[in-house]
Amino acid sequence: MDEERRLSVKEWFASRQIFSKDKWGYVWHTVIHPVDGFYEIRHRDRGSLAVAIVLVIIFSLCFSINRLSAGFVVNDINPRSVNTFTELISVLLLYFLVAVSNWSITCLMEGEGRMKDILIAVGYSLVPVTIGFIVGTIFSQFVAADESAFYYMIVGIGIAYSVFMLFVGIMNIHNYTLGKTILTMILTLVALLIIIFIALLFIDLIGQVVSFFKSIYQELIFRG
Amino acid sequence: MKKLKFTTKAAAFILAAVSIIGAYTTLVSADEELPYETYNYNYWEDIVITPAAYVPSGSVTGVELGTINFKTPQDFCISEDNEVYVADTGNNRIVVLNDKMNKVNRIIDSFEMDGVTETFNAPYGVCVSEKNQLYIADSNNNRVVVLTPEGDFIKIVANPQSEVLEDDFSFVPLKVTVDYADRVYVIAKNAFEGILLFESTGDFIGYFGTINVKISAWDKFWRRFATKEEKANQQLYIPTEFTGIDVDADGFIYASNIDSEGIQAVRRLNPQGKDVIQKGENGNVGGDIDWSQYGTYSGPSEITDVVYRDKGMYSLLDRKRGRIFTYDKEGNLLYIFGGIGLQKGTFRTPVAIESINDEIIVLDAGRNSILRFKETNYGSLINDAVGLRYDGDETLAIDKWQEVLRLDENNELANNGIAKAYLTAGDNKLAMTYFKMGMNQKYYAIAYKRYRNDILASNLTVVLTVLIVIIAGLVVFSKIRAKKKGKVKEELL
Repeated sequence: MDEERRLSVKEWFASRQIFSKDKWGYVWHTVIHPVDGFYEIRHRDRGSLAVAIVLVIIFSLCFSINRLSAGFVVNDINPRSVNTFTELISVLLLYFLVAVSNWSITCLMEGEGRMKDILIAVGYSLVPVTIGFIVGTIFSQFVAADESAFYYMIVGIGIAYSVFMLFVGIMNIHNYTLGKTILTMILTLVALLIIIFIALLFIDLIGQVVSFFKSIYQELIFRG
Repeated sequence: MKKLKFTTKAAAFILAAVSIIGAYTTLVSADEELPYETYNYNYWEDIVITPAAYVPSGSVTGVELGTINFKTPQDFCISEDNEVYVADTGNNRIVVLNDKMNKVNRIIDSFEMDGVTETFNAPYGVCVSEKNQLYIADSNNNRVVVLTPEGDFIKIVANPQSEVLEDDFSFVPLKVTVDYADRVYVIAKNAFEGILLFESTGDFIGYFGTINVKISAWDKFWRRFATKEEKANQQLYIPTEFTGIDVDADGFIYASNIDSEGIQAVRRLNPQGKDVIQKGENGNVGGDIDWSQYGTYSGPSEITDVVYRDKGMYSLLDRKRGRIFTYDKEGNLLYIFGGIGLQKGTFRTPVAIESINDEIIVLDAGRNSILRFKETNYGSLINDAVGLRYDGDETLAIDKWQEVLRLDENNELANNGIAKAYLTAGDNKLAMTYFKMGMNQKYYAIAYKRYRNDILASNLTVVLTVLIVIIAGLVVFSKIRAKKKGKVKEELL
């Protein structure tokens, strides 16, 4: 017991193989060889959930940084309208929502992927768009008007490659055919909307219940 | 004893200080508190409070002028020699005031035509041409009467005859204006097709400046599925009517209309009747950009009149919220002031707007009076700067814009004006700073490109030297490595 408790944070991470060099190196391998990479994530546990979540956080920060400090020629966003913290929260929320809705669909459609694999696949496939935002933000400091097309190209390639990776990831994790992957992706979107709808309904209902009890309480107070 | 003395002293001092501060603040607030908000919209279309460009400077009523009160006056007009002609609709007369609006010069309530004395019946509109002829839209008599300034009869424009008019069309002129060639432009009741244009002889030419009806794709989609009965029950797609009209020095017609989307409430019509108005960056010349969705003052502005002022500037009058919006020639919103209310300097039912001697005057049919607004330092600085820019003297405008910035730090127009002057002067770095504050991406990019070229050009030798050294180094390094590898191979062999 005592010995275990004395493990430092570093050692703990090392023992769990979460942030090992191998795991980080594998992210890059997945970006370059998506088909192989995602296959081994599913079948040989080469991916890491913690790394995936860190990647999502990095993506969110880069997204905010891009909106805050990309060059003025390509960026007319009011800096006061950018809130890094709320954006981080909403990106993380959306990340888990997408994973949950994909999981709930693929469960019914004979997908082989586990929840962990889906989270890793979505997280890893955000790498290209993150790089696109970073490179684009740096590049945008040096562009004049007629060169802004290059900036949009850089960001566009990042987004396109991310979508491609996500697609390949879902396909390989669940061992789907092309057509089935497209179908699941559409259904995932539908499931996402249903989840949001139910969540809103639930929140509204809770609010009504709360206000009901509140009014009972007020009534009692005023009568008594 | 000593202590008590000290406390009384302190109390007396505090009392004195409080009374002085109190007197001072009441003095200041009485002088500077305006009955309305003055604001503008920034690049992101957020409301930004600005200093006042115009402040109320009094009002004029009929009784004050020594005549009976106005009764729902609907229009007024300034002549070339700065006389103010008020169409006193409810009293069926035209009241002519002097340029200071403190004296009635004359009252025109009848005229002699073919030996018969004629009167007016609810004259809605009035206009004085460049040739100093008085045009009166004598609404309920279905005619436009043309008189000399003294009230002697010249001619009548009435009874338009044309195939484009419906058979039962009744000519009820509401607003009238005249261009340099004595062509008469009339806004008539229920004439949705546009402004009625008459030749100087009084012949009807046709409609002018028709507003096209906008039908959304959604409406078209639903109309496809509607049955005949349903279609008949739907409301007709009728273009909006023009509300006010003015003419500029080049003979272009400024006509205001009520736009249900609040995007374009004024048109600048060329002699062919085509709209040639310039819109600013946000593409909006419709008054307010932001408005509340619910409540008494919800919805877009209802522009009821337009006045062309000097140097390409024009002002719009909103009857819903009582605002006056002033734009420059390029469609930039310069300043906003005015409001509905009961206080001094606010409107009840504003109907017409004019400008006279650096003043803006508004006719209020609810208050039966003319409200006057004088320009402040802020307003006159903007007016002067815009005027200089209109004349092409942008470098002279820079001092004015600097002054505007001292009063209103984030004024985007001022920042842009200064930046453009710096750009022409070749100070690209400063131009970039000001263009960024003025949120002008297009010109910022131009300034940045020049700045970048300058840096590259001045450091060209350094950059090239470094490049050559790096390339040479790489070449040498790779050769040495190849040689070493070769040696190793040889040794192995």
